[in-house]
Amino acid sequence: MQCAKTLCQECATQWDGIWYCAACLSTRRSAPAAKSHIGGWIAVIAATLVILFFSTRFMVWTGVLLAGLR
Amino acid sequence: MIRAPLSTTSVLDESAAVVRATLSPWAALLLATSIPYRFMQIVFVDRLIELGSSASQYGDLLRTTADVTCGAFLLSLCGRAVYARACRLASESGAAPGREALRVPLTALAGYVFVASIAEAVTYLLFVTGLGIAFGAILSGLGIGTMELNTEPGIRGPLRRLARYGGSSRIVVALALVFFCAFIVALLNVATLVSAIFSLASTVGGWDAARWHVLLSIHNRRYVLTIIAGALLVIEPFWIAANVLLVRKSGAAETGDDLRVWFEELQRS
Repeated sequence: MQCAKTLCQECATQWDGIWYCAACLSTRRSAPAAKSHIGGWIAVIAATLVILFFSTRFMVWTGVLLAGLR
Repeated sequence: MIRAPLSTTSVLDESAAVVRATLSPWAALLLATSIPYRFMQIVFVDRLIELGSSASQYGDLLRTTADVTCGAFLLSLCGRAVYARACRLASESGAAPGREALRVPLTALAGYVFVASIAEAVTYLLFVTGLGIAFGAILSGLGIGTMELNTEPGIRGPLRRLARYGGSSRIVVALALVFFCAFIVALLNVATLVSAIFSLASTVGGWDAARWHVLLSIHNRRYVLTIIAGALLVIEPFWIAANVLLVRKSGAAETGDDLRVWFEELQRS
């Protein structure tokens, strides 16, 4: 339990592997609305584009390598 | 509904039921979005075989084909994401999911596209070693299984989940081996089906059987590549359903939800 209260299992809810009481859960549920995820979005989009760019290069490189072995 | 403890056979059993529930229209949507990607892969390999040892002199042509394949890959990921959500909904309710399957959260999709891109890059990078396809398939499977757990955008979350659920490596590797065997069986079935259709069609008057016999023989590389792509398309819904259920059941086993459901079922019976 995150807030260290003693609760029975029926009154506790698990979120991402951690047990929460109703009050902590409602705080957590409302928290993401205020938090900005712009950094996360930029990171995941940039990383995906870079990986996809190299993925196509690996595809061509491997293909040419295997075709050259024939 | 978690019906049995986590094991390879329970995952396969329940995935068959989930695929049956999601066959129409979600498996059809998955096929429709995957066909362009498989087609472009065929085109790429066909061009490579055609060019042979002079392939290195046609870099622009191959790069353009690879770029178009990459675009088709992104489209196929959207179809896989919708299908994975449909599988999760079907496993929860036990019924065919409705339009709710289309509402894939953007954060989940972004995390999945990121992981699937890594799997794709690993596949091509390690292809010459012979391990690329196995590693890529396992990574891609875990990626689709953990997709809906990505509730926040970022690159650490999806990778952490991959490491966490990849921990049950025995079942993950067992599933990969089972699906490799399923691929061989699907390959034979698709080839037999095409031959049967060809044989039936040859009884129709005006059918140029001799010409089609040349086109639909194992000596025609395009036919062989198409059969391979067809077999991959056939097993894809089962592969996605199995990975979604593997991740769900692993999570339930960790939290004790499986025991709670089992106890409730015992009380009801």
